[in-house]
Amino acid sequence: VAEIINPYVLYAMLALGAVGVAIALPRRGVSWQVLGAILGATAIGAILLTMALKTPGQIPNLYFYVFALVAVGGALRVITHPKPVYSALYFILTVIATAGLFLILSAEFMAFALIIVYAGAILITYLFVIMLATQAPTEDDAEVLTEYDTTAREPIMATLSGFVLIAALTTLMLRGVPSLEKPAPVTQQLVERMPGKVERFLRNEKLLQPGEKVAIVDGVAQINATSKQITLAGADGKTRTIAWPEGLSMDNPERIGWSLLADHPGTIEIAGVILLMAMLGAVVLSRKQVQLDEDAKARMAAGLQKSDKLSTEEVSA
Amino acid sequence: MMLAQAGFPAEMGGVTLAHYLLVSVLMFAIGLIGFLTRRNLIVMFLCTELMFQAAGIALVAFSRFHLNMTGQTFVIFVLTVAAAEAAMALALVVLLFRKRESLDADEWQEMKG
Repeated sequence: VAEIINPYVLYAMLALGAVGVAIALPRRGVSWQVLGAILGATAIGAILLTMALKTPGQIPNLYFYVFALVAVGGALRVITHPKPVYSALYFILTVIATAGLFLILSAEFMAFALIIVYAGAILITYLFVIMLATQAPTEDDAEVLTEYDTTAREPIMATLSGFVLIAALTTLMLRGVPSLEKPAPVTQQLVERMPGKVERFLRNEKLLQPGEKVAIVDGVAQINATSKQITLAGADGKTRTIAWPEGLSMDNPERIGWSLLADHPGTIEIAGVILLMAMLGAVVLSRKQVQLDEDAKARMAAGLQKSDKLSTEEVSA
Repeated sequence: MMLAQAGFPAEMGGVTLAHYLLVSVLMFAIGLIGFLTRRNLIVMFLCTELMFQAAGIALVAFSRFHLNMTGQTFVIFVLTVAAAEAAMALALVVLLFRKRESLDADEWQEMKG
């Protein structure tokens, strides 16, 4: 970390940020909130700015700073906004900025999965529950802010512990393993098992003559990533060997697909079962039990006896 | 500690692994502070999602740095658990709201035991 930011600046800014966040958390007498928000945002912004000044060549990774600022700023707003609906909307902003960070890391699949699953599914559920589980506004007071939304619980102690955690973790980063072994360059071994992809790529590059296919001998596609050669078989049975074309490699979703289905097939099944169980659990938990009065019970029982069914004490809605 | 690696998608131009870890740390701590201070049950669960998100950033950054797909695969399972958790937690929140007509976590103080 010492290469990307001056540690004293980092600690000073973290202290400033802690004060800002502590002030910005919702409480009675809202007047100070704006000051706290400005203070906290300045501190976080200063950390990112110092990082930008320390590293050369800022222009290519400008987007990193934009997305990081939006993500952290949105996260701050999630915890400081007194209205839960706005908190959820700011969380969506954070999710989208995080997806941008993932794109910079060339993890396209994760970026889109994040937006679809988080912003599309989970947050919509949150919004529905927020709307289901709030008191209806009364006629004279349309904007109801409940007491538990406007008053934070132990803001100073919580902020202190949170920022001590940040300081501890960044100190670990300062002292941690200074340099890791550089990973071996990516090999294209997996492409050997994907003759369909190779054929499609060659056809797009106009390297494949009509009727030609990747030669398959004893069920093994003749693609050699080590010696960089591909053997093609024509329609008449003649074979020819061509060199590895430029740009033939796996993209991010293909890599994740291999990793998921080849390396972790059991885990993905378990994930499916967990999701199914969660769905069942949610249905069972939130089922509403309607208590019927004696009159309605009698009518129910009469109706059920006629149709020869078991009588029930309650119906589930 | 540069993330730029020859032969893999694009040059990273000055961004290091530590940059991403710093963002992840900040976000995790913000989620933690939110979980401790907010009293609305729904916002508390939103803050746990924030922490999941921070862990996801760290995992994807490590995955990119080591050029190992397992990190990103793990994030998929984190997403799965987050979705399952959201479904169950929100069902519980609806249940609790029906009992007390309030989302205040302090309403359930007697559960401390």
